[in-house]
Amino acid sequence: MNRRVMQYTLILLTTLAEVLLQNSAISAEREPFNDRYCTTCHGTEGKGNEGIQAPRLAGMEGWYLRRQLENFRAGIRGTHPMDREGIAMQPMANLSDDSIADIVEWIGGWPYVPAEVTITGDAAAGRSLYGVCATCHGDQAQGNVAMGAPALAGQNDWYLVTQLKNFVAGYRGKHADDVYGQQMAAMVGGLGNETAILNVVSYINTLEER
Amino acid sequence: MAGFVSRREFLNLLAATGGTAAALKVGTALNLLPASATAASLDLLNLGNNQRKIAILGGGISGLTAAYELSKQGYDCTILEASHRCGGRIFTVRHGDLIDEIGNRQYCEWDDEPHMYFNAGAARIPSTHRNLLAYCKELDVDLEVFINENKTALVQDDKMLGGKPIRNIDYTTSMRGFMAELMAKGMSSAEMDAPFSESEAETLLGMIRSFGDLSEDDVFKGSFRSGYAAGGFLEHGVQNDMVAFRDLLQTRLGRQLMGANEGDTGPILMQPTGGMDKIIHGFLNHVGGKVKYRAMVTSVQVSDNGVNVSYDQDGVGHTLEADYCFNCIPTHLMVGIDHNFPDDYVKAMKYVRRGEAYKAAFQAKHRFWEDMDIYGGISWSNTRSRQLWYPVNGIHKAKGVVLGAYDYGGGMYHTMMTQEERIESHLADHEKLHPNFRDLVEKPITIAWHRMNHMLGCSARWSRNRFEGWTHEEEQLYHTLQAPVNNRHYFIGDQISMHSAWQESAILSAQWALNSMDAHVRAEIA
Ligand SMILES: Cc1cc2nc3c(=O)[nH]c(=O)nc-3n(C[C@H](O)[C@H](O)[C@H](O)COP(=O)(O)OP(=O)(O)OC[C@H]3O[C@@H](n4cnc5c(N)ncnc54)[C@H](O)[C@@H]3O)c2cc1C
Repeated sequence: MNRRVMQYTLILLTTLAEVLLQNSAISAEREPFNDRYCTTCHGTEGKGNEGIQAPRLAGMEGWYLRRQLENFRAGIRGTHPMDREGIAMQPMANLSDDSIADIVEWIGGWPYVPAEVTITGDAAAGRSLYGVCATCHGDQAQGNVAMGAPALAGQNDWYLVTQLKNFVAGYRGKHADDVYGQQMAAMVGGLGNETAILNVVSYINTLEER
Repeated sequence: MAGFVSRREFLNLLAATGGTAAALKVGTALNLLPASATAASLDLLNLGNNQRKIAILGGGISGLTAAYELSKQGYDCTILEASHRCGGRIFTVRHGDLIDEIGNRQYCEWDDEPHMYFNAGAARIPSTHRNLLAYCKELDVDLEVFINENKTALVQDDKMLGGKPIRNIDYTTSMRGFMAELMAKGMSSAEMDAPFSESEAETLLGMIRSFGDLSEDDVFKGSFRSGYAAGGFLEHGVQNDMVAFRDLLQTRLGRQLMGANEGDTGPILMQPTGGMDKIIHGFLNHVGGKVKYRAMVTSVQVSDNGVNVSYDQDGVGHTLEADYCFNCIPTHLMVGIDHNFPDDYVKAMKYVRRGEAYKAAFQAKHRFWEDMDIYGGISWSNTRSRQLWYPVNGIHKAKGVVLGAYDYGGGMYHTMMTQEERIESHLADHEKLHPNFRDLVEKPITIAWHRMNHMLGCSARWSRNRFEGWTHEEEQLYHTLQAPVNNRHYFIGDQISMHSAWQESAILSAQWALNSMDAHVRAEIA
């Protein structure tokens, strides 16, 4: 073998070895993942999924999203044995602070589309019930960051119904560290029966054009 | 343990069975054998190359069936799969694999050897699932026999014999003996004799005696069938004690034990050598190039002459236009994906409930079950972990993978636990079967299908009433979802079957849709 050929062969062999090494490094590498899995349950661009009972995220305020994710993660929300949907969500918020920040930012980029109306109730009767709610959530259910009260308008009505029932029954808002949840739980006195809940949510449904 | 059933005990139990009339009814029903049939062969029109575009949503076995069959006929198929892998609920876990449970991601740390795998979803192929088997043959998937019932495996119930595990064979031999004794006693009463001719009665009695291994006086006195207490090869065998009838009746596990070999789980069962996903790889050998991974469908819009699909791949939006679309995305996820499906379709999608199956597995440090004459099969216990499966693959190798829990119907019990709680529950449960189980196993994995990414459930539940079966309304909803939208969009998968939770159903649903589409294509070009 002349020198040149040997040199080439050597170069070839080293490159080959490098490629092989790289390949084995790749195959030993673990399947990567990220934490942007919200849409599996919450649907396309977080519009909500009734099939999973996972609410609309698009349009939720960043501060509210963050607080709820942190509450779920800490077991402040989603640990009452009767809070079925909350229990389903709770372990899914097993996220780092960075991931929560990333998710909040990601969700913030989704277009706001009001959810479809799926329930029937007496919106006129609901209107007077809503008076109490308006104090914190605003006249148009637009939310109020100063009160820590999220927007309700445009949210999936079936989700609002479930959450109101949970607050009334004490499945949500009873945890000692759930400051805002407790505040809410104290406000649902007028919603003791299902009809009242359907009525008030029907009224909230009218606050958003669809 | 030995003991006899008193005469009074027989008669009481006999009365409770409902007597001759009930027995006769069962007998008549048994006469009817289903007509034999071969695997359905598809006769799809070949249109030459690339004349129609097909979008396949979801790389489940039904989606791959559609892709494979249509590609053979020159259709231009694209498979959009949200996950990093195809197969959906056909999921074989091996060394290094990601188990993508939301909130509880795991990597499998088992030894990297061909027999060290676990079928976390589908695991058994019944010999009557002929369409699935036909694909195994066509796709060169090697099969081996799967052992479901194993007589040397164990049975344990805290309520039976003070919680001491016994061999399946001890349970079933004694139970059959006592049942046969009851039947034989019943046969000899005039009432029972009447409907049979002498020779029929003789045949039946002979069978009953052999079913239970009765002694000549039609009494069960134990049997060599459950093995020998001592000897048996170079010396005469000493008969095992039988288990008293009343003791056997303290557990409800008899329902599993006496029925483990019946129905879909009856012999012969098979499994692909090396893991159930060998079937998926078989399909992918032909259509693997057409799959887009981590491609999550975000919108399905059906028009008069096609379907527009949007999907997200690594944060980037794409669109795909197709003439036809086959969709095996679970309906409960599809509800949350943008679509323009008609109202009755949406109503049906929302009606379906999602199943809750749960499995767990451990790497065993050595194949301790083989030291106990157990090769494959299932030990049953009346615990929440319910089942312990011993692998039939890898016999006599150093290690093996055991299934440490399988709850098909009530999987939420373990699903709701943390990973540590789940594992502790299985370890504690199986210590009742194998006292040092905790030390014999390592590297646990759990699969809660209710929380697996892109699945969030297992096997559609159409019927809400377990005992009365499908209502008329449920059947209508089902047929609504089976029918295409605009002759363009088809739902497929075992969710579009009346026998969900089987690969065969998923395949048949795809074939049904393919035939329907084929008829439409033929009409269009005629
Ligand atoms: C625990 C368990 C045990 C079982 N045991 C057996 C058995 O022993 N024998 C047997 O024959 N069968 C068994 N089955 C049933 C069998 O696994 C299923 O019937 C079959 O695999 C279903 O196939 P499928 O085509 O319906 O699709 P699936 O497997 O449901 O696949 C759906 C696919 O859609 C993908 N997807 C979801 N969302 C999106 C999106 N937005 N965009 C793109 N893709 C998406 C998913 O990632 C997945 O790949 C078992 C199942 C389970 C879970």
